[in-house]
Amino acid sequence: MFTSTRGFSRRRFLGGSAFALAAGALGMPFIRTARAQVPTFKAGVITSLSGDNILGGNLTKRGYDLWADAINAKGGVEVGGDRFKVEMFYGDDQSNPATGADAAERLIVQNEVDVLFGPYTSGSTIAVQPICQKYQVPMISGSAESPNVWKAKPEFNFGIIPAVDTTAGKSLAVLVKISNPTAKTIAVISVNEPFSKETGEGFRDGAKKAGLDLVAYELVPAEGDLTPVISKIAALKPDIVAVGGHEEPLINVVKTSKSLDFRPKALIMHYGVTDPAFAQALAADANGTCGVAVWLPSVPYKDDLFGTAKEFAEIAKKKSGHEPDYTEAACAASGLVFGDAIKRLGKKPALKPENRVALKDAIAETDIHTFYGPIKFEKDGNHYHDNIQPVPVLIQIQDGKTVAVGPKDAAAAALTYPLPTWK
Amino acid sequence: MDLFLQTLLNGLLIGGVIATFTIGFQLTFGVLHVIDFAVGGWVVLGGYLAYYMAAELGLDGFLAIPVAFVLFGVIGYLIGPVLYNVRNSRTARPELMALALTFGLFTLLRGGMLTAWGFNTHSVPTALSGESLSIGPVIVPLIRVAAAAFAVAIAGGLFVFLYRTRYGLAIRATAESRQNAALMGVNIHRLSANVYGLYAGITAMAGVLMGAIYSVNPEVGLRYTLFAFFVAVLAGLGSVGGALVAALLLGVIEAFVSTYVGSSYSLLAIFATLFLVLLVSPRGILQRGL
Repeated sequence: MFTSTRGFSRRRFLGGSAFALAAGALGMPFIRTARAQVPTFKAGVITSLSGDNILGGNLTKRGYDLWADAINAKGGVEVGGDRFKVEMFYGDDQSNPATGADAAERLIVQNEVDVLFGPYTSGSTIAVQPICQKYQVPMISGSAESPNVWKAKPEFNFGIIPAVDTTAGKSLAVLVKISNPTAKTIAVISVNEPFSKETGEGFRDGAKKAGLDLVAYELVPAEGDLTPVISKIAALKPDIVAVGGHEEPLINVVKTSKSLDFRPKALIMHYGVTDPAFAQALAADANGTCGVAVWLPSVPYKDDLFGTAKEFAEIAKKKSGHEPDYTEAACAASGLVFGDAIKRLGKKPALKPENRVALKDAIAETDIHTFYGPIKFEKDGNHYHDNIQPVPVLIQIQDGKTVAVGPKDAAAAALTYPLPTWK
Repeated sequence: MDLFLQTLLNGLLIGGVIATFTIGFQLTFGVLHVIDFAVGGWVVLGGYLAYYMAAELGLDGFLAIPVAFVLFGVIGYLIGPVLYNVRNSRTARPELMALALTFGLFTLLRGGMLTAWGFNTHSVPTALSGESLSIGPVIVPLIRVAAAAFAVAIAGGLFVFLYRTRYGLAIRATAESRQNAALMGVNIHRLSANVYGLYAGITAMAGVLMGAIYSVNPEVGLRYTLFAFFVAVLAGLGSVGGALVAALLLGVIEAFVSTYVGSSYSLLAIFATLFLVLLVSPRGILQRGL
């Protein structure tokens, strides 16, 4: 095959190949050294890249990456007049908290990350907290809405999204206030896992404050079939059904309710409804479902990196093809918190252990305004290190789109209430 | 009384739904002596096929049922001999090697689906999705009735096939003793390929229904694998008839415990039943398992 016609003999080919290989092999250490001479901040992302929570896990990853891409496009994070790029490392918790802790340890020990960006689920976040404490590495969480994440007062962990106990009850109160005729009774269903359970508890406690009569409170296993519980609740005829869960059980609640011809006057869920995948999976059946959002592209906030909330939404949509939801926004805002804290700290990469502790202190003093909204962490109480500044907005899916329906000053459309019977 | 009747119906229909993907699993264990962890993968693949047929071609999900049977039947037919060779290899513990192979196949299917179709949850639209019938105070979800009818039809069809045809006789003979069946002239190799193809086809058809009743994403497969395994153990491994009875029993237990005790106790009740049956009747509920 490689014979001589144009001076391209097998010998020359093999010789050339050997030379190229040798040159490549010899050159590699120099390339590495050359790259190593440009210091970068190393950020570790632990999230669910496989397993049951893969959808949410990828939302968080997308949000963190949006910040990394945006800041690197500007030349990197600014420290003392210089800019340093950010290198992202990823750890998959496989939707399992224990695996999340292992992944965090690997990112800290092997990849020597300067900061961690936290998991999608509260369970994994709680499992990773002791690792952050052990190695004294700060972790900024753009998801993890369970109040239990903050009750133990994690020294090195900071949360961008307000815990569900502060948002679920408030949005339920808004729903009751704008419902006409006023809702009187409620049934709460929640999937038996940390975030969903605490969302359910948030709805349950919020129901009491809103003056609703709680007719049922059901904890369902994630693997269980929902027909028995929906039939039971249908027999009690509550005005509102509130659901705590992630995307898949939320979709199944709607499908099962329709198959049993049961439609309450209002159906409110928490996380998941704002993800476009929810409306896509259910098509017209998604209409009327209410949800809670702590951020929407229509909020009137802005910052120097992303611009306005609307501009952020456009950047995100360009990358993923989907309108971003509040988790994606909060994850991107996590990077802004890191950028602000490291700028104030004035320490260049790679951070020494004592600088990472100082970074944690700098993050704790955060007080910034971003496209996501104001970010300031609690210094005491049950929401220690959580950012409870954002005000929840009650949203409803109308004609396949997510629209704000309450409170009144944030509403872009009227609440559809009571919901019509299934077509 | 109304709630009692509704709960009973719900339980029977849940059982019918579970039975759809357990029957083929039992057949495979009975003949190939393999616990197929890939069962959930075939279910989800069937669901995806139906979803894409509906989304891309605008077809009703039910039309995917025969396509799923043919397509995954052929794929199963090609995989069957590999599984047979591993299960009957001369390596130490071939049964564990076969288990590892099916686990690997499941992981491959799951990973492949994630790469190919992403992680969003989808739903399969059918003519019966969300439709129901009121019989007095009881609401009958028609899509679940279709799934239960499918399970009964498949179980009945398999019964006729296994007990009324010569090829069924060969399958039963192979299940009982591979060596003797081979000595009688049964081509065990081809029979294994056919059985695994039949199983993959049936399970993918069940997947179409699962996608219509619940929803489809690459991660839900594990759940189906676990339920298939629970039902198979309760039924007695390898017993096709037992699978139907065991699935109905588990469905009724889940429904009554969820309604009258609390949903959070339903899995506990299922495990307790499994434990008791294994204690009292290790060969399964009908005493016909291996």
